[in-house]
Amino acid sequence: MQLRDHIESPCGLRYVFEQLELQSGYTRRWMLDMPMMRTGEEIAQSYATLRQFVDFIGRVDTPYINTLQFRLQGLKDIRTTIKNLENKAVLDDIELFEVKHLAILAVDVAERLKAHEMDDAVKVPDLNEVITILDPDGLKMATFYVYDSYCQELRDLRAQMRQHPDKQEDLLLECAEIEEGVRRDLSQKLFGFAKALHEAQIALARIDMYLAKALQIKQLGLCFPTIAEGDVTHYEAMFHPQVKDALEMRKRAFQPVTLTFGQKPTLITGANMGGKTVVLKTLTLCQYLFQYGFGIPAQSADIAVKDEIFFCIGDEQSIEKGLSSFAAEMKNIDAVIKASRENRKIVALIDEPARTTNPTEGTALVSALVKVLRGDNVSLVMTTHYDIEPTDARCLRVKGFENGTMNYELVEVQDGEVPHEALNIAESLGIDSQWISEAREILTRANSIPLEKERRTLR
Amino acid sequence: MTFIDDILNYDSLSIVGLQKNTGKTVSLNYVLDRLPVERKRIAVTSIGIDGETTDQVTRTQKPEIYLRQGMYFGTSEMHYRQKRIVSELIDVSDENTSLGRVVTAKALTGGKILLSGPSSSSGLKRWMKDMHRVGLDLVIIDGALSRMSLASPAVSQSMILATGAAYSTNMNTLVQQTAFVVDLIKIPLTSQENLDLLLPIEKGVWFKDSDGALHEIKTVSSLSQEIRFEGMDDCKTLYVAGALVDGFLEKVRKNPKLKSTELVVRDFTKIFVTPQQFRLFHKLGGTIHVLQKSKLIAVTVNPTSPLGVVLDSDTLCARLSEAIQLPVYDIMRLKDAEEKTANTICN
Repeated sequence: MQLRDHIESPCGLRYVFEQLELQSGYTRRWMLDMPMMRTGEEIAQSYATLRQFVDFIGRVDTPYINTLQFRLQGLKDIRTTIKNLENKAVLDDIELFEVKHLAILAVDVAERLKAHEMDDAVKVPDLNEVITILDPDGLKMATFYVYDSYCQELRDLRAQMRQHPDKQEDLLLECAEIEEGVRRDLSQKLFGFAKALHEAQIALARIDMYLAKALQIKQLGLCFPTIAEGDVTHYEAMFHPQVKDALEMRKRAFQPVTLTFGQKPTLITGANMGGKTVVLKTLTLCQYLFQYGFGIPAQSADIAVKDEIFFCIGDEQSIEKGLSSFAAEMKNIDAVIKASRENRKIVALIDEPARTTNPTEGTALVSALVKVLRGDNVSLVMTTHYDIEPTDARCLRVKGFENGTMNYELVEVQDGEVPHEALNIAESLGIDSQWISEAREILTRANSIPLEKERRTLR
Repeated sequence: MTFIDDILNYDSLSIVGLQKNTGKTVSLNYVLDRLPVERKRIAVTSIGIDGETTDQVTRTQKPEIYLRQGMYFGTSEMHYRQKRIVSELIDVSDENTSLGRVVTAKALTGGKILLSGPSSSSGLKRWMKDMHRVGLDLVIIDGALSRMSLASPAVSQSMILATGAAYSTNMNTLVQQTAFVVDLIKIPLTSQENLDLLLPIEKGVWFKDSDGALHEIKTVSSLSQEIRFEGMDDCKTLYVAGALVDGFLEKVRKNPKLKSTELVVRDFTKIFVTPQQFRLFHKLGGTIHVLQKSKLIAVTVNPTSPLGVVLDSDTLCARLSEAIQLPVYDIMRLKDAEEKTANTICN
């Protein structure tokens, strides 16, 4: 699976990706083709490099970074041209220009990094020899044509051409033949550099990416995570950048969430509008950001590496696919269970499963799901409104309404009883009072049967 | 030297033909031939394909674009490969056209080339910006009006309009219709406040109320017959990002609520109304402004139509000049006259 496959996850990964200040369209495409990292070593290596870039932008002045970024705008996708070189084809003027342009860019960027001891952060192959081949006059300019200096005869013919415009057509033909020979020679000299050119192109894309990620860490206030030894993931004051930005637009603040999960299934209950779904979204987002080597939106984070990430949320596209929302949801969760049996390390973040069916069966389905996904290789976080037996899981609860405002903090609770705040919240939203009071009356009547007994019968 | 000095006051020029065979390429070559290439850095490109050796529609001979040594040009990869001059590549852009990417090069010898540049207004603007950024003084665009082009020549600061017998062989019609286009080109710019507000909006129909707030009018397009001006009692400015057509203009004119409303269109190439509707709108006190405007430097005429009809050059120039209050040139005759003068001096 590549970033391209994960980018549309409803957790908001695209939002963070789009905020990267990538300078080149090629870097963007290259990143989208990147496979997700699945080992601690890979991820650690990637963060070590990113840390070097964060230090780098911290110690050099902004204009230096701006110039470097401006230069990286010149990074073009010349894979086709490099392929032609590999296939030992004769390159034309445009292709030779592309090769020279890349070589000059690579040398320039490498020098800029070296000036600040950054040459070991991303290694750029030395392409000075390529420049020498394509720059016979040593002008160091990123332009190209079959220079006069390649061949005295060409020089003479062109001089004649300028003196006798009337003979231009014939002279051009003669020139064309010589030029083709020069191009053949040049291409031959360049064949051996195909691999280095390819590597240079990727190295420049990596530099572009690391710079953008480093700047993003500064801009969004992200942190470097540590890689968890075991299966337990811990976030201190994590936030969701997109939700945070949306709230700030409305002059409201995002309340960061602190959370540990991993070994035992974790259930989050809490009032409506208590931010349960946002917690799941943020957890999913952070996991992806971690496995693609981005800064993490939290004060600190210790994250376990996973093979696969599942985020199950009410799927709006299910109607388009002709599935009912229940059917779509069941199929999504079924995929999680199947994956859990393949002995891969997975993290599953499931939002209110079986919410669209009747509460009796819903509660049974959710309780059973907790049991099924209890395996060692699964880290499960699930939100629900149903009362679930707490013995199989760790239960967290959104604190909920306090003095008229919502407190989004998560607190550990011993019993799995869900809060009954829906009516209060609906009331605070100014929903029709007749409706609410009717509901209240029905509840009072139902509560004459002791609640505990009702729960026991449900199980 | 006629209008050449005038061109140097601007950093961009488009040469626009009202129709094929109205002498646009002749005018372009005339300009390229006379610009002081020794002291001004000049770049040329075209909107879409141009510079074919024969006209693809009428099969008549077309003059080619002749570049002088030192000039820069933007063309497609395909046409670059067919070039018949020595030139140095300075850029290969990401801008894609049906003939490949747009490449930019510097002519190292004089010679003929095929021009085919960016095919959208935004692409053209980017190219012009790049050229100015690398220090070029003047960017010339070989533009087209009659063709289905997505790129508007109105992005340039100045303009030369080529008209002629190919547009109409009836001199009255030719003068009237050319004068109408000139009227459109001369539509004044809207206020700076509106420019800031409306330039980024590239589609839809919008109106601005007296508080300066912008509202979109829910409609499929300005071409729609269904358009209704509801809830627009306080409409200061009505902006049509797309095409302005007769039906829309008529509705605006007939709506008493929009009596003192300023109508704004993107540029004159977006106006597709008949002269009658346009004049009626103005006569009844309507105001129309644009977001982009070019200074019309000159009008050139080609009195010969591709079918062989030849109008009297002197009469045409005189009548057109009177109608539009601007100098009008028959470039072919101008060239002949200049050559004669040069010969006389030499002899």
